[in-house]
Amino acid sequence: MVNGRNVERRTVLKAAGATAVTMGLAATTGCGGDGGASADGTVTIRYAWWGAEDRAQRINKTIALFEKKYPKIKVKTDFQPYLDFWKKFNTQASGGNPPDVFQNAIGFLRKYDAKNVLLDLSEQAEAGNLRMEGFRAGLDKFGEIDGKLLGVPVGSNSMALVIDKPVYTRAGIKPEQGWTWDDFDAAMRKIRDKTGRSGDSGMYGVMYLYDLYLRQNGKAFFTADGLGFTESDLTDWWTKAEKGVKDGVYTDAKKVAQIKPKSAVAAELAGGEFTWDNFTVRYTAEGKSEYGLAPIPTTDGKKTGQYLGSLMLSASKRTQHPKEVAQFIDFMVHDPEVAKIMGYDRGVPATQAQYDAYQPTDEVNKAIAAYEESLVKAGVLEPITPHPNGADICESAFLRIAEELALGKRSVDEAVKQFFTESKTALGT
Amino acid sequence: MGTTVTHAPAMEGLSEDKDSEPRHGPVKPERPAALKRRRRRENLAGYLFMSPWIAGFLLLTAGPMVASLYFAFTDYNLFDAPRWIGLENFSEMFGDPRWRHSVQVTLWYVVVGTPLKLIAALGVALLLAQSRRGQAFYRAAFYAPSLIGASVSIAIVWKAIFSDDAIVDRIQKSFGIDVGGWTGDPDMIIYSLVALTVWQFGAPMVIFLAGLKQVPRELYEAAEVDGAGKLRRFWNITLPMISPVLFFNVLLETIHSFQIFSSAYIVGGGAGGNACGPADGSMVYTCYLYVQGFENSRMGLASAMAWMLLVAVALVTAVLFWSQKRWVHYEEGAS
Repeated sequence: MVNGRNVERRTVLKAAGATAVTMGLAATTGCGGDGGASADGTVTIRYAWWGAEDRAQRINKTIALFEKKYPKIKVKTDFQPYLDFWKKFNTQASGGNPPDVFQNAIGFLRKYDAKNVLLDLSEQAEAGNLRMEGFRAGLDKFGEIDGKLLGVPVGSNSMALVIDKPVYTRAGIKPEQGWTWDDFDAAMRKIRDKTGRSGDSGMYGVMYLYDLYLRQNGKAFFTADGLGFTESDLTDWWTKAEKGVKDGVYTDAKKVAQIKPKSAVAAELAGGEFTWDNFTVRYTAEGKSEYGLAPIPTTDGKKTGQYLGSLMLSASKRTQHPKEVAQFIDFMVHDPEVAKIMGYDRGVPATQAQYDAYQPTDEVNKAIAAYEESLVKAGVLEPITPHPNGADICESAFLRIAEELALGKRSVDEAVKQFFTESKTALGT
Repeated sequence: MGTTVTHAPAMEGLSEDKDSEPRHGPVKPERPAALKRRRRRENLAGYLFMSPWIAGFLLLTAGPMVASLYFAFTDYNLFDAPRWIGLENFSEMFGDPRWRHSVQVTLWYVVVGTPLKLIAALGVALLLAQSRRGQAFYRAAFYAPSLIGASVSIAIVWKAIFSDDAIVDRIQKSFGIDVGGWTGDPDMIIYSLVALTVWQFGAPMVIFLAGLKQVPRELYEAAEVDGAGKLRRFWNITLPMISPVLFFNVLLETIHSFQIFSSAYIVGGGAGGNACGPADGSMVYTCYLYVQGFENSRMGLASAMAWMLLVAVALVTAVLFWSQKRWVHYEEGAS
């Protein structure tokens, strides 16, 4: 491969004139040289994302569409599951050879900005290569950090309570917008007593739900540079969780761990669980029951603390082709055809044009659309709290330590102490 | 062998020296100067042939090792320049309960897994040492897992066998033991890793087989005449006679066990979004090292951990070597 590239570069130098020489030199400085331009001016950009086979097929279709519209730009893709994606990305980025454009999430923005990996796309937006208008519900500000445009949202989603509908019906519970945590606790007990199933699969480990709970109480999981809550806050949260497991309202954590990667709801171990609304698709594929989306319980009967979360596209600071990358992102977030292909795979499309272009016909996607509509109507959506550099490590620590707690490997006090120790290291505070 | 290098035909064939001996001619004594020249030439050729290996060693092994030793005393996140922090990585390591947990898991794995594997290897070797029909087939069949066992695919198969509602779980259930899958259980997952290593007993088995073949038959015959039973013959003849081979296997397998990574990483991976099994149940030392290095981008700390492992393995090896005086018997004057 290396040889092939070198030959290519040499041909470039020989065949073309002064402009081609500069291009060839640019490609040479680009370390791997993968983003090189060939003799006819065709540019290749590398696009990496996380996900599974199904998303790959959709993305390949959108790329075929893009290459047809921009014949001078070729897109090379690369994908892994979530965890592997970041390991590979980390290694590539530290070696100075990250993909030109890649899928990104809020928890990584500050991290890679601090490491000087992300391209500020605002220049490209000003140059007109990337349109930042037409985004829904203020999503255009989502990837802005300290005045820099580090990511462009492709889809939005919000936290929800995914429920096994027949189980809730049998227990006689109808969750409504504005129900409180007391209502929720009562519902959990009712489900346990009337259906013999646990009400929830273990919400204590879902960082984004805890974030909502904190926001309902005027705090947040993260501040711009640290944690937005105290040890005693977390002790309260996890004490309730521990008690819930003991009382049988939350599923036995051991069983939940054993059936992974299948979800506890689909495996009929729990009546519901908190997750992102676009994940509902997965439950329908995994389980036999009928699944629906219920609102997030509140503290005061109004405020849910919810915000739109989003997957983004970011570009590498080292890309040789910022213009082409911007055009690519622009196409992916604005083109209506793309929305028809992607559906709600990465959340509800971020731009109005794409949102209008895709009308879901199947029950699950319809339910997601209805859920997001209901959030807008209820007016519960707020701006997101910042995620500091190191947020990703805090999240995985939270998940892991909560599981250890649920499995009885740690007491609440130990778990809280361990989480704060690890977070302090990760956040550098 | 070392003293007769001058006769190596390949070397002479290569040399362009007009004075060089005819290939099949008698060897006449050489003058010291000529001898020296020839030696130098041969050394040069030797180094030339070794150079790919030497280059590989310097570039891919020695260089990274030196770099890693340096990083061990720095705070290095791959992106920013390493910052010298002295022994801080080491003090952080010892104060980290997760690190201590990984040491415990690894020690448990080594202490339980290695002897079981060697017992299995020796047991099967004893069975296969006797000549019987289809011997070659059995040997190959038992050796096969060792060949493919280290591969990622086997680890994936292992995960499939020991996970919830998979074959092992179902067999257990049919006996009325409902504990669920092993790989999802923080207390059980390590057993599935031990089972995996024991299953790969082929390599030490082959070495045991070779050792068993070396035990003189007469000893057994003499013992039998003296009325020694099977067990007694095993304890008093077989074990002492193969003790050098046993020592070799113990040493090798112990070192291997300390270095377990890929199987633990794959069998434990994905459970709870944790690379090291549910509740760190299969978090062996190298697994935690990997997490610190590649997930948390703390290459300095990971390097320090790697050197700690090296020191630990060196210590264990030293203890084993020291102990061999007590139980390893080398035949006096063996050829």
